Amino acid sequence: MHSWINLSAKNMSDSKRRKLQTPFYPVLSPEFTDETPLTQVYVDTIKNIKLISKVLVELNSVLPISELCHLKRARGRDILVCQCSGDLQSEDVHQILKEKKFDVSQLEGNIKKILVAEIAPKTKKQYQTVNKLWPCNFHSDKYIEQLHDNSLFGASEINDHIKYMHIAVDIAKFYNSHSGVTVIDPSINSIVAVGFDTQHNNPCQHAVMVAIDHVAVTQNGGAWNPTRGDTVACNNKIVSGLPSEALKFLQEKYTCIEFGAKKFKAKPDAETPSDGPYLCTGYVLYVTREPCIMCSMALVHSRIKRVFFGAKNNSGGLGSLCQIHTVKHLNHHYEVFGGLLEHECSSLVTVCS
Amino acid sequence: MVELTDTQKDFMNTAFKLAYEALELQEVPVGCIFVHSSEIVATGCNTVNETRNATRHAELNCIDIVNDICKSRGQDVRDFFAGIEVYVTVEPCIMCAAALYDLNVKSIIYGCKNDRFGGSTVFDVASVLHPITQSVGGFRAEEAMSLLKTFYKGTNPSAPPHKVKLKNKDK
Repeated sequence: MHSWINLSAKNMSDSKRRKLQTPFYPVLSPEFTDETPLTQVYVDTIKNIKLISKVLVELNSVLPISELCHLKRARGRDILVCQCSGDLQSEDVHQILKEKKFDVSQLEGNIKKILVAEIAPKTKKQYQTVNKLWPCNFHSDKYIEQLHDNSLFGASEINDHIKYMHIAVDIAKFYNSHSGVTVIDPSINSIVAVGFDTQHNNPCQHAVMVAIDHVAVTQNGGAWNPTRGDTVACNNKIVSGLPSEALKFLQEKYTCIEFGAKKFKAKPDAETPSDGPYLCTGYVLYVTREPCIMCSMALVHSRIKRVFFGAKNNSGGLGSLCQIHTVKHLNHHYEVFGGLLEHECSSLVTVCS
Repeated sequence: MVELTDTQKDFMNTAFKLAYEALELQEVPVGCIFVHSSEIVATGCNTVNETRNATRHAELNCIDIVNDICKSRGQDVRDFFAGIEVYVTVEPCIMCAAALYDLNVKSIIYGCKNDRFGGSTVFDVASVLHPITQSVGGFRAEEAMSLLKTFYKGTNPSAPPHKVKLKNKDK
């Protein structure tokens, strides 16, 4: 039995193997996960297939279908004439074509109503479904496909995600908080800041909000945490995003992990560019519990790159109540993955709150 | 639209003064005051650039002040927030709306809509949180909006400049 599993794993494609081993799931916008909305169109049949390209050129010029340009105009001898709308009856379709000086004698006149994709499919899966209804144009986006089938990360990256979430759990336990956060700069694989819940002190001090303020401290800012100045670690990184007791605890427990942010250089005046970090740009945040709406939006304002959470939260803003990270009109969007170390993370909630 | 009483207009006026102060300080010009029992208990403006923390909006700064007052008086924070009336020059963003709803503040009176981040215009937070808070806007909206426009015309002193340059190149 065991050897059979190994054998089949060997024959599996890389993406399938990754999918099976990925201990978290992407929280995607409904436009990727929902079925493509459908609409009805009128279809007629061309009499002489040899004339099809001429007929299609003619039809496209007299009756373009700009709202349905993701659809092909023909399937075999069938031709998409127009979208069905309110009071347009199938008997009237030829009348419209005649008014546009289109020679309807080229068509059979066996007008049918059929269902087609109303908008362009976003994923391969959606494409395969709607393409059966009527042929569709589709350009696969490799990154979206990997995100969608959860094969974005390799084994060593997945191990890193697990490690950083473990540290978020450690931080929660260390501070006896029901939620813990680590913020990572993936470009240097280093822990920039941590966060833990201090709502007993201030109702807005959720773990994520505290972590964001800790990041601000590494940039000589911060509102809740007095600036601790340029506390520079031995390898020239700023470790002021971690309270000293947390830094000491983590450094003793994890000897192979990097701590601190890249050096922040304040601009002497508005004209000089800053080459240091800006807010949470490029950073990845690990939080044991799905952030609430306030925290989810705080992460939009902070320009975070990616968020991993462990346990779901009934009042969560990244999938449970709503999806703040996919709101179209916002100027920044980030990727969200849930369910990482879900068991350990949910036990924090029940023990501490 | 509901007419504001003279007292309410005065409160709104105070919020506007804070917004103008924020503009002077090169912060996003939003001013906010919290009123409890007809008395101003907190005033705040946006301090994002000063703190390098993008969440330091006027409303959250006011929440912190009220929180400190409650702690110093030994008063229950949540009880006190239930009597708070918020006056703010711009519609609270999604984050601030969620925070204010969670604290069950009594009311929010605002100036112009926030079409970039608004907690009802961009995403209707109330539709998922079902707050008891009463919210009404549109007071001196044009003035509040023109303040924002004045700010965004200038350059944000903390933003990395290379992104702006790239965009210009594309054009």
